[in-house]
Amino acid sequence: MSAPAGAGDVVLRAEHLSVSYAARRPVRAVRDVSLELRRGEVLGIVGESGCGKSTLAYALARLLRPPAELTEGTVTFCGKDGPRVELTALAGEELRRYRSTRIAMVFQSAMNALNPVTSIAHQFRDIFTAHDTGMDRSAMDARTGDLLEMVGIDRGRLRSFAHELSGGMRQRVIIAMALALDPEVVIMDEPTTALDVVVQQEILDEIERLREALGFSIIFITHDLSLLLEISDTLAVMYAGKVVEYAPTEQVAAAPAHPYTLGLLRSFPDMRGERRELRGIPGTPPDLSEQIAGCAFAARCGYSVEACRTTSPPLLPLPGRFGGGVAVAGWNAACHLHNPDLCPGGPPPELSGAAAGRPDRPAAVANGLVSEGTAAGDSSGGFQ
Amino acid sequence: MSVLEVSDLTVRFGRGSTQITAVDAVSFSLRAGQTVALVGESGSGKSTVVRAMSQLVRPAAGQIVLDDTRAGRRGAALRAYRRRVQPIFQDPYASLNPMHTVRHHLARPLHLAREHLRGQELDKAVLEMLRAVNLTPAEEIAAKHPHELSGGQRQRVAIARALATRPDVLLADEPVSMLDVSIRLEILNLLDRLKREHNLALLYVTHDLATARHFSAEIMVMYRGEIVERGPADDVILHPAHPYTQLLAAAAPDPARPRVSAAAARAARQQARIGKPAERREAVLDAGCRFRSRCSRAMTKCQVRPPDLEAAVGHLARCWLYDAAAGNESAESRRASA
Repeated sequence: MSAPAGAGDVVLRAEHLSVSYAARRPVRAVRDVSLELRRGEVLGIVGESGCGKSTLAYALARLLRPPAELTEGTVTFCGKDGPRVELTALAGEELRRYRSTRIAMVFQSAMNALNPVTSIAHQFRDIFTAHDTGMDRSAMDARTGDLLEMVGIDRGRLRSFAHELSGGMRQRVIIAMALALDPEVVIMDEPTTALDVVVQQEILDEIERLREALGFSIIFITHDLSLLLEISDTLAVMYAGKVVEYAPTEQVAAAPAHPYTLGLLRSFPDMRGERRELRGIPGTPPDLSEQIAGCAFAARCGYSVEACRTTSPPLLPLPGRFGGGVAVAGWNAACHLHNPDLCPGGPPPELSGAAAGRPDRPAAVANGLVSEGTAAGDSSGGFQ
Repeated sequence: MSVLEVSDLTVRFGRGSTQITAVDAVSFSLRAGQTVALVGESGSGKSTVVRAMSQLVRPAAGQIVLDDTRAGRRGAALRAYRRRVQPIFQDPYASLNPMHTVRHHLARPLHLAREHLRGQELDKAVLEMLRAVNLTPAEEIAAKHPHELSGGQRQRVAIARALATRPDVLLADEPVSMLDVSIRLEILNLLDRLKREHNLALLYVTHDLATARHFSAEIMVMYRGEIVERGPADDVILHPAHPYTQLLAAAAPDPARPRVSAAAARAARQQARIGKPAERREAVLDAGCRFRSRCSRAMTKCQVRPPDLEAAVGHLARCWLYDAAAGNESAESRRASA
């Protein structure tokens, strides 16, 4: 698999990661995922709940705890200064040195991620002490003040408790915490999901500003594709534990290659465009504790062919694919429609890249997904 | 014909100096076969409006009139009102009882609303309800407990339960915000179809402007307990009049916007925010126009609470910018500049 073309060198590389949750029937939440994060890049990972995106984030940061278990694969970190380190081979104290200092994580739900019974200053002191920065108390508080100001919070808030802050402010504090030890990679798991749109936009602006100023790379995980279209450089679309499409964001938005990506793009009503019939994606994702024969999306896919139900499509590069009028390197999709042997007619125009009349408007792509499965028939003639 | 009329609805919480007015003299009406959207940020009072309309909180003032009859507050009159005005809540993981099967969730309201239904007939009605919300195979679903269902399926059960009493009005409070993006549209399409089939009056409470526009005829925008703008859906979204609505519309991620222009807009916002700490921006004042501390177009006059002023025909904004008497921006000049 070739990675989408990016600017910098690779800072984090995941190869063939698989994660299972131990149970009577093990749940294979992440299945053979390979990704590359380049220096200074924002890599967006999108998918429905239960598709394994948070589990993948935890695996990348080596934060998995039983019953979750990394069953296969490696995560390699290539720092600015220093050798390549295989994070998956580290344990104990060695691993702890990488967490927070090199790879930091911003967890979901800002509302609950702060300790309610200690002050903000105290929680920052914990970080500095745990990682042996050798700072004394006043130096720690001074650094905390700087970090708070960096994310737009008055340093007077040092003594505040979580309940004294609004949701947006709490999320800012969490981001400041992730940046406290100057990491090279920040993994953000739904960092804005609980926030209002106006606050969400402010936080995204803040993340973008800090990234430009400090130069860290971001893995941004969300179910909201519309956010990633605005902020990510590269997009990885996950379905049922696998990456089904992996390509430069702007080109994917204009001309997706995988039917699932197309369905996701069509799940958003266009706020200002013409009113049109909207479908979403009918049906529900498969049970990950079951053995999946063929393509996991086949049951919900309006384009599926015979092979989709028997053979699982591998994630393969699409050579010579065009997006916005130019050939795009590093476009990968896991779909039989792009395999000339199984689908001699080639993919339909809306998936071949040919139908993208206006590269900036995914809404311009023609036709709707064919509805199948349990939830069919909610088609709506006219709104209002 | 108007089904449900809400006038001067006011809800207060707490007492003394800590008392807050969550909903402040809100008036509107819902008509059969029509969807009205109520949009706004968290804490604006949207859910409190729904709770007051469901008679789950007691309003401090104002009245609710259902088909020319004042809504009953207790006893048989309250039960009759609740049968006809049904809420659908945001969180389908919390609104269903984990101890009971889907059949029980539907059989109870069916039995209460239509007392003659018993035994096989009741069972048949339950399955009918499930099919009406596309939960098939109905027999299998009816026997399941909530934890065996996906979020979308649970919300369908909640919708079926709301419909079981054959209501005239549905109050849908963020019915899809807990659900995955990919299944939101199906649930909204379902509500839209049921509304047409049963000629329901539908209040759609949401923070999502795009679906508000697509699924409703009229939009009301709420800010700090007040409705600050209202009008036909397309007018409110495509030509927002109140500066708060304009802010909301600009903040919503727009998948159709090219990335270059999104980045340019971001740079402009970052520039505008320099020197303004986040805290000040999120703070609010209580006297005068409530939005004025965040408003880029605030004037001296805004220290006085503005009335509803006409921004265009049938399109009202609670903002001094549309004060025709003062020779401010008229609807025409705003349209021309837009």
